Formats: sequence, structure tokens, C-alpha cells
Amino acid sequence: MTHIIVIGGGLTGLFAGILAADQGAEVTITMKGRGGLALSHGCIDVLDRSAPSRALSSLSEHHPYKLAGKNNLQDAISRFRDLMQQAGYPYSGKLSKSMSLLTAMGSIKRTCFAPAGIAQGDLNSGGQIVLGRFASFRDFYPDMIQIQARKAGIKIAKIIDLPLLEPPSHRDGYPMDFALRFEDSSWLSEIIRMWRPLLPGVKRLGLPAVLGLQNHCEILEELEDSLGIEVFEIPSLPPSIPGIRIERILLRQAQALGVKIIEGAGAIGRVDGRSRGKRVSGVVLHSINRTIQFDADAVLLATGGILNGGLVAQQDHRLRESVFDLPVDYPPNRLNWVGMSLFQQQAYASTGVFVNSRMQPIGFDEKPMFNNLFAAGGLLAGSDRSFEGSRQGIDLATAHCAVYEALRLS
Amino acid sequence: MSSLSTQVLVIGGGVTGLGIAWDAALRGLKVVLVEQSDIGQGTSGRHHGLLHSGGRYVLSDTVSAQDCASENQILRRIASHAIEDTGGLFVSTPADPVDYPDQWLNACSQLNVPAEEISLPAMLDREPLLNPRISRSFFVQDASIDSFDLSHALVKGIQERGGVVLLRHRLERFSIHKDHLVEAKIRDLTTNKSQRLSASIFINAAGPWAKNITEMAGLELPLALGKGTLVAMSNRLVNTVVNRCKPPSDGDIIVPVGTVAILGTTDTPVEEPTSLAIEPWEIDLLLAEGDLLLPGLRDCRPLRAWAGIRPLYQPAAESMSQTRALHRAHVILDHEETDGLQGFISAVGGKLTTFRLMAEETVDLICDKLEIDQKCTTSSTPLPNETGNFFSLPSRLDKLERQDHHATDDQIVCECELVMRSNLEDALENSVTGADLDDLRRDLRMGMGPCQAGFCAYRTFAISSEFSSTPTSIKGIRDFLDERWKGKRPVAWGSTLQQMEFSRRIYLDLFAASRNSEDRP
Repeated sequence: MTHIIVIGGGLTGLFAGILAADQGAEVTITMKGRGGLALSHGCIDVLDRSAPSRALSSLSEHHPYKLAGKNNLQDAISRFRDLMQQAGYPYSGKLSKSMSLLTAMGSIKRTCFAPAGIAQGDLNSGGQIVLGRFASFRDFYPDMIQIQARKAGIKIAKIIDLPLLEPPSHRDGYPMDFALRFEDSSWLSEIIRMWRPLLPGVKRLGLPAVLGLQNHCEILEELEDSLGIEVFEIPSLPPSIPGIRIERILLRQAQALGVKIIEGAGAIGRVDGRSRGKRVSGVVLHSINRTIQFDADAVLLATGGILNGGLVAQQDHRLRESVFDLPVDYPPNRLNWVGMSLFQQQAYASTGVFVNSRMQPIGFDEKPMFNNLFAAGGLLAGSDRSFEGSRQGIDLATAHCAVYEALRLS
Repeated sequence: MSSLSTQVLVIGGGVTGLGIAWDAALRGLKVVLVEQSDIGQGTSGRHHGLLHSGGRYVLSDTVSAQDCASENQILRRIASHAIEDTGGLFVSTPADPVDYPDQWLNACSQLNVPAEEISLPAMLDREPLLNPRISRSFFVQDASIDSFDLSHALVKGIQERGGVVLLRHRLERFSIHKDHLVEAKIRDLTTNKSQRLSASIFINAAGPWAKNITEMAGLELPLALGKGTLVAMSNRLVNTVVNRCKPPSDGDIIVPVGTVAILGTTDTPVEEPTSLAIEPWEIDLLLAEGDLLLPGLRDCRPLRAWAGIRPLYQPAAESMSQTRALHRAHVILDHEETDGLQGFISAVGGKLTTFRLMAEETVDLICDKLEIDQKCTTSSTPLPNETGNFFSLPSRLDKLERQDHHATDDQIVCECELVMRSNLEDALENSVTGADLDDLRRDLRMGMGPCQAGFCAYRTFAISSEFSSTPTSIKGIRDFLDERWKGKRPVAWGSTLQQMEFSRRIYLDLFAASRNSEDRP
């Protein structure tokens, strides 16, 4: 049986681990900290265009989507949706047309796929929107959303204060404190009883994305059925409940497939001495009190970009890949890594590890560094994901591509 | 065009101009101050936050040393709310000249600048992170001072005494009548309307822009500009100001200010008041020099960097190459004496610690000219806002911890600096002009901690739009975030760059606040 080590426990690493295990591989996922899902919005951004699938062809030849190919993107998304569907957390959307979502700032965000509860807020369909406010929740401000949405031509009909029973601390309640309240069914029935008289004439209610954790869909259904309205969620500041829902579903699925998960151990290099020719024979993991070697038939790097530690930017003007010191191309003066505005395209965010169409890291001579080393996700060069709105699409497509290429080795 | 007349027109809203206007108002003069941008936007708001003990100058500039020592004591009395009584150390590292400390200590005692040698164990007891290889250590009366708190108190004082402070008003031109400066044309940059302002005396307190002001009156001003770069580290690191005991040079000081430590400074001659670009070598130098004081500092996280411009009066003979070596004390130029133009005075140079003295001397001259017999009272008049206590860092936390978590209706808006919703609401209610995000930052330190507004910019923007009748567009928050971004750009590596990328995840991935977001869907 092929043994694959996946380095990284974010969307890319967990998804890749599940795909590989599902194909019969023996899989170990190792993670230094926690992946980036709790920082995400829970949607699958493919490309910030009105018709993403059509726009894919205009991307540069070195773009991760171009390298992985459209089939990998389509297959990856359908696998991801199957996984979420089976876990009772279905996604809607299509590759050919973006949905438009109201953000917690009142701006309009385009995305391709969103969990049903968020997708119900698609501004391209549905009725007039009313927003609900939880007085003690400090990351959701319907007044501002209303003001800014109006500037974008979206009318918010009304804002309603919705009481919560024994709300989390007003001072610094976190999204998880709210989400866990909703998991309590007697609490939920009480809330519904309190809200019912406040919602006459309301058809579509937008709330912060804290409506439960693992039983979110049941909670949403209960709210909608009992109140006789449509309810949708709007994601706000991290920690993100929709992101954590994905993380938990993927972790549970990986465990169910027998994936071995090692937490708190970062990969620090490949196993030396036994690497024959262009093969990696394993990785060295470092945890708090020891260093361990793991042998593997294939290694998948899913360590992420600058934020998650896959790339390390140094004061000495060097920008390094953190595990294998793979070649990275970047401006020689560190001042040129970053532009003058947060909102422009950034050199540091567009760079990373170069791969071929099999997701093998390549050198400046374009030849694979090792035959059995693969890379996917935020680590790859060729796209500023925040700027072009493509983060999760790239994670899924390149993970899918890398796993099937790794499995073809044996 | 409307017109206004006053006795004294002050040009420049830094501490120099504000100090002059405050002193003049206290003496009963009618005063108007114009500032082209906002309070403390120039050199005053860009310094390292040090209230000098005088120790820095005892061997290079004895006048400044003595002025600093006496003004230090005065400011502790009249502006204590803006001062944190950190105390200061002068320490001799292995890289510093061994004969310097004795000369220095001798000069301190001759000039009555209090300085006392302390033992190395006592030094390390006080500041455990200091280099254990430091050979000598002296305690001085340095402190850290918040120039925004000071400036705001001055503005309040001026207004309470009937003075007028006009922000976002730019001087367009002067009118001269028979060798007498009589009138200024001022443009309100918000409404774009101009007005004429006549005055008996015009005071040029424009700091690095002073030369541009004298040029409008057809006069030359020999002004040298020196750019100084500073780095704020994301932790406080020390509780005491730490100076290198050596002749003044690049990177010779660490000042604890609020939750951060500020490393100062470099010194590069520049041509323009707007030449504020920072080079990587300046940052590297400050971190390397700081590492001699606090070993390991270079691996700590820098929060942001900025530069300020030192305006220094430089009569023709002196060279342009070393601005720090120039005489650093202030100069009050009576243009009637130097150029034969009446009604025009330039107050040039100086430092934050001696702003009051500089104002006193300027207003003494004004009173002479106007034949008014009023003595200066600023040294004994506490500024408004004065609480009678020195600022102390943990006061916000202390207050918060005494409350019951669930009993309070208040919310934490900025976790890094512990700014509460009630602080924000008070600031919004008290703001006359309609506070923008940057005003709130200066008032409350909101957005100045490690996350550099990643979380609180959103919350503050939201809360302030609930208060405003004309809420700003998303462009307002973009501009604010870009200002924070620019300050982090010179130190964008390691965890600072990670934090920057995290802000992009929030404002691009999550909130879609990019430039093209307004013309959708």
C-alpha cells in the first residue's frame, strides 16, 4: 500500500488526505499548528468574476488553475460537495456563474459555492432582506451594512433587534460562544418563542454566521420552519464558524477513513542519506521535545503561503520555502515584496513554489526536484489569491491533481 | 470672500504653533491658528515620545541640555496626563567609548542635569532584558510623553480661552503693505473656499514647512531638513527609557510608549518636508543598534516604522552633511530685524521637550511688538484634561478587571489597546468636526497594537457610522487601512508580514472591500 505523508492540516491538506485515503492509500497528515480554515469565510472562491469558468481560460500559463487543468477543478469541487453533502452540510452554486453575497461590511462579495445557509443570501434571487441584530455580538453591525449596501444599490428593508436567552458575555463574546448556544435545542425553542412576535411581515432574515456548529442545518431548518421565514447567514470576523464547520467535517471524515493525524509536529526537512537520486524517502518532523523520521512513498506539501508558514519572509531579503528550501522566485529587495496599498496585488502573495502540471515542485531548469514530492494549495506560485478571489478553488483543484499524480507513481 | 481679523495668526498645528497660541491666549491675546492638515501631523506626531532629561545634550549642546532639564520638570507639572514617568537610563555597552561616561557624568553635574550612577545588579533588576555586558549605568529624569495627548490638551486650552483653531486650512498667500505683513489668504481644504485673515502679527511655526511659508513673504530661510526614522516594536520590552552613553548617533535610544517600544533614530539630510520614504538599511541599523542594548531584540517583531523631519536653522556657513551636529536649540527670527519686514516672526527648530519655552520666548517678542505688558504664565498653568496623575499603562486593564464580565454593557472594540465601545462613543460625541478613523486612533490608540487595526478598524468603522449623519463610504476604511499598511511596509517580514496578510484575508477575502467592490453586482 502506498504511504503518503501530507504536510499541513488546512483545507488543502485535509482534502488531499481524504482523497488519497479514499483511493486506498495509507495516509499520515502532520500539522504544526492548525490550518487556516478558522480564518476563512467558509465559501469556495474560485475566481472573482461573474462567470468564473469562462474566465479560467484567460489566466496565465503559470497559474495554478492552468497547471492543474479544468478537469481537476471540476472533479475537486464535486468531490468536496459530495463530502459536505454526506456530512449534512450541503453547498450550492455553480462554476459558470458567481453568486453575490452581502458581506458584514455591506459590500458585495462574489463567490462560486457557499453552504446552503449562506447561499440563501444570494442577492441575485430571493425576496427583500431584513437583518437581525444580537445586542451582545460585536462583529455584526446591521446599521453599517444597511448604509453601505444602499450605496451599492441593495435595499435592506429593516433591522430588528433579536433577544438571546442568557447571551454570551457582552464584553467580549466570541462567535463560538454564540454558535454553541444555538446547539442547545431547548435554548433554541425558547429563542424561537421570543423572536416570533418580532418578525411579522419578514420573509428573509440575515443573521451573523453563528447559527450552530455541527447541527447547523437542523438549526437553520428549525428556525425557518418554526418562524415561517427564510434565514441566511453572513460571515464576519474570525474565528469563522463556517470555516470551523468545514474543518470539523474534514477531520472527522479523514479519521473515518483511517488517516493518521499528527498534531503539533512541523516538518523540518527530508530524510537525509537514504534519498536515492530524485526521490524523497521520508520527512523529518519536529515536535516540542523530539525529532522523528517518517518514511513515505510520496510526500505532499500543503503548508500554505506566507500567513500559514509554508513561506517564510526574512529580514535578510530572503523568502524561503520552510520545509525543503525549494526554489522560490521573489524581488531581491524586501521593500518590493509589498505594495503601497493593502488592496493592490502583492509580490509576496503571488510568489511561492513552482510546480509542473503534475504538481511536482520544479527548479529554475523546470525539472522536478524529486519524483515523489508534490505541492498544493497556498504554497504555489502564480496567483495572488486574495486579489483575484481564488483561494479555495486553487486549494481544492491542486490538492486533487497532486493526490492523483502521487497515486499514479505506484 | 469672507474676512476675519485677529491679533496673532499662528501658522502650523504642531506643538510649536499650539504652544505659541496657548501662551498668547493665556495672556489675553486674540489668536487664530491655521493648520493645513491635522493636529500633530508633522514632526510633533512623528517623534519617539521622549521627554528629554537633558542628558543627551550635556556634552554637545549645553544650552539645550539645561533647557530640557528645566522644561522636563515644568511639563511634569502642567501636562502630567500626557506623561508616563518611566525614568531613563544611560548605559555603556561594550561598543561604546570607555572614557565617555565619566566626562558625561561630570558634565551632567556641572549643568545641573540630575544623573546618578546605579549598580549593574540594580540596573538588571529594573530592566532584566538589558545587555548583561553593559559596564556602567546612570539613572536620569527621562520620561515618555504622548504628543497627541499633549496637543489635544493644548487645542482645548486655546479654545477655552477664546482662541480659534482652523484645521485643514492652508495658507495661500500673504499681502504685504509698505514693508508690513498685513493679511493672509487662507483656503479651507474641506469646502475649498478662501477667506482673508488680517492680523497684527503673523507667526510662522510650520516646522519643516517654515521655509515654504517665508518664501510666500518673499524671504529666504536657511533651513536644513533631517529625516529621522523610527521603529515601533510590538512589545514594550522595557519600562524605562534606555539611552546609549556615547555621543549622539544613529539608533541610540529605546523609549517605552504605551504597549510598544520605539527605537530611534536615524538622521539623513533631505530636501523636502515630504521626503519620508524609509530605506531597508535604516531599519536594519536601528534593529542592530537596539540589539546591543537588548540582546535578541533583532528577532523581536517590529510593528511599524515611520519617519519625521527635523527642521534645523542653518545659517549659511554650516554644512549640509550632518544635520544632527547642527545646533539643536530653537531660533526665534524677527523678520523686521533680519529682513526689514514688519509683523512677521518665524519660530524655527526646537524639540518637543522645549516647546513651551520656545512659545514663551516667541510670545514675549509678540508682546514687545504689540506693547502689551503681560507675563507668561504657561509654566504654572496646568493644561486642560489634567487629572493630576501620570498616565499609566495598565489603567485601562485595571478598570476592566474590576468589572464583572457579565454585569457590564460595554464591549471591547480593540483588544490590543483595550479600547471599549464607551471610549469610542465618548470620542465620537466630543468630536466637533466629525472624527474620522484616524482621529479616533490618535485619541484612543485604537488600531495601534499588534494587529494594527485588523479587527478594530471594522468595528470602529461600524460604530462611527452609527453616529454620523453623513457616514463615509468604504473608501474611508480603505484609506485608514492603507495608512497602517504603509507603516508596516518597511518592516514587512516574518510575523509582521503574516499579520499584514491576515488583514488582507479579512478586508479582501471576507469583506470584499477592494476598490472595485462599489460598482457591483
